[in-house]
Amino acid sequence: MSENIIQIEHLNKSFGDVKAVSDLSIRVKEGELYAFLGVNGAGKSTTISIICGQLSKDSGKVIVSGRNIDDGMQDVTRALGVVFQNSALDMALNVRENLETRAALYGIKGEAFRKRLEELAEILDFKDILSRTVGKLSGGQRRRIDIARALLHKPRILILDEPTTGLDPQTRRLLWDVTEKLRRSEKMTVFLTTHYMEEAADADYVVILDSGKISAEGTPLELKNKYTGDFITLYGVTKQELDKIGLPMETVRDGVRIAVPNTAAATELIVRYPELFKDYEITKGKMDDVFLAVTGKKLVGGNEK
Amino acid sequence: MTGLGNLIKRNCKLFFKDKGMFFTSLITPLILLVLYATFLANVYKDSFMSALPEGFVDTENIIDKTVAGQLFSSLLAVCCITVAFCSNMLMVQDKVNGVRKDLTVTPVKGSVLALSYYISTAFSTLIVCFGAAAACFIYIANIGWYLSAEDVLLILGDIFLLVMFGTALSSIVNLFLTSQGQISAVGTVVSAGYGFICGAYMPISQFGEGLRKVLSFLPGTYGTSLLKNHAMRGVFAEMADAGFPEEIVEAIKDSVDCNLYFSDSRVDLGDMYLVLIAADVVLIGIFILIGQIKSRSVSR
Repeated sequence: MSENIIQIEHLNKSFGDVKAVSDLSIRVKEGELYAFLGVNGAGKSTTISIICGQLSKDSGKVIVSGRNIDDGMQDVTRALGVVFQNSALDMALNVRENLETRAALYGIKGEAFRKRLEELAEILDFKDILSRTVGKLSGGQRRRIDIARALLHKPRILILDEPTTGLDPQTRRLLWDVTEKLRRSEKMTVFLTTHYMEEAADADYVVILDSGKISAEGTPLELKNKYTGDFITLYGVTKQELDKIGLPMETVRDGVRIAVPNTAAATELIVRYPELFKDYEITKGKMDDVFLAVTGKKLVGGNEK
Repeated sequence: MTGLGNLIKRNCKLFFKDKGMFFTSLITPLILLVLYATFLANVYKDSFMSALPEGFVDTENIIDKTVAGQLFSSLLAVCCITVAFCSNMLMVQDKVNGVRKDLTVTPVKGSVLALSYYISTAFSTLIVCFGAAAACFIYIANIGWYLSAEDVLLILGDIFLLVMFGTALSSIVNLFLTSQGQISAVGTVVSAGYGFICGAYMPISQFGEGLRKVLSFLPGTYGTSLLKNHAMRGVFAEMADAGFPEEIVEAIKDSVDCNLYFSDSRVDLGDMYLVLIAADVVLIGIFILIGQIKSRSVSR
């Protein structure tokens, strides 16, 4: 059984009359990819800021890597690597200067720094831009440096606060490849906040936050099973031919999609109408459907619709 | 103290790389230079010349040196404060652009971070001010050298104390600033206003009694006066050698703020040092105290 690397109990935080986080309790297991899903203002970044010691909490208990943050942040911060929503590097300094300054804050200097820089430049592919000024880098290049900065001290927990917003697909892929590799090789925990459903779908555990409270939680499969049904997409048949099934359906490209409560119901239909099921596929509901079912909101670019 | 050296290096690099910040800090000294070049020097010269009785040898040269000493000391007095304020703006900029979060999510203590801002501001300001002092010494040499080695050392010491004062004061002010607008506002007010309140644009002796009284409570006033005393001591000695009546010399000293009065009694140089050093210590103490209170309120 993996230990809880982050444990939050009854966390509360308000800004004036606005309750940003309300009685939040979560447990993140070591080595897992844990996703916080929610619209802007759901309380994701507030929770992260409290975990990182950037923001005081009103009440509750936060334990990170076995240490209560109330007992001081020094040991906690050694365990954390954070990729902020917006790059927090010095735009006027070059890549090497930025990473050198930050590494020194963890006591990584001289040969140890050079070695670590080489490793990171290799896996994140930024060898060619080491002497470029950070302010002049493209969004994708800058993101790679942000990730390198977060990984400088080999943290046990990597916090990614909406890391892929506005990124090109190539950098997005690189980010996930690197974090996946580190999770496997170093048992690093990844704590992700996102409003991209496809990213949440790849997580080991998902928490859906709405107005500072947990609306739903579980593995993506559990959430899909609980909050959405299955979909059967049939090809080579018309909507009229499927009318006898008597279930709601919609026309999609090259076929018709029927919503069923679960996989057992899909099997029952196939057995009952084998003549219709010549070319078909059964898929689980998507995280978008889960999010919509749980919160009644659709997520478009982090904003609710 | 992990990372202190690298943080200081980072802060200094950012100050000198940010040309906007660097040149903003030089606005007041530049205004002062323009004022002197266009009319202030002539105003002073005419005023001093008219106060002198006829019949002294080489009067014009001595008065030129007096005006040069006045410009030199005013310029340095202003530089020490405005450059410190602008250099220390990095402390606020780091908050505004989010870099501060990245620095505080490390094992580095808040006190080390605060110390890095203080030391780097003091260091950058000293570099600029010593550079300005070197330029002023060259200017004095052109007019006619009158400073002793002791004067030069004392001037450098005054610059050091004033820079410490400016750094501590700006550190306290910056603790409360959180936006780009506030940075601009404070930068503008300090750059434009400090030249007046330290008596650089116009000697404090020319102000009304009420304002003079208020300014006598500001420690920076004594720092400026120390600089003026050391920058012009040689000229006053030359005046005495040339046989200028003591009353005239004292009157000139009064008019250029070399003599300062607190509740009608003259403040001697030792007391000026005491005021400035005490102000440095008190301001640094306040900075540390507020910093600790603020960091405690976040970690709670």
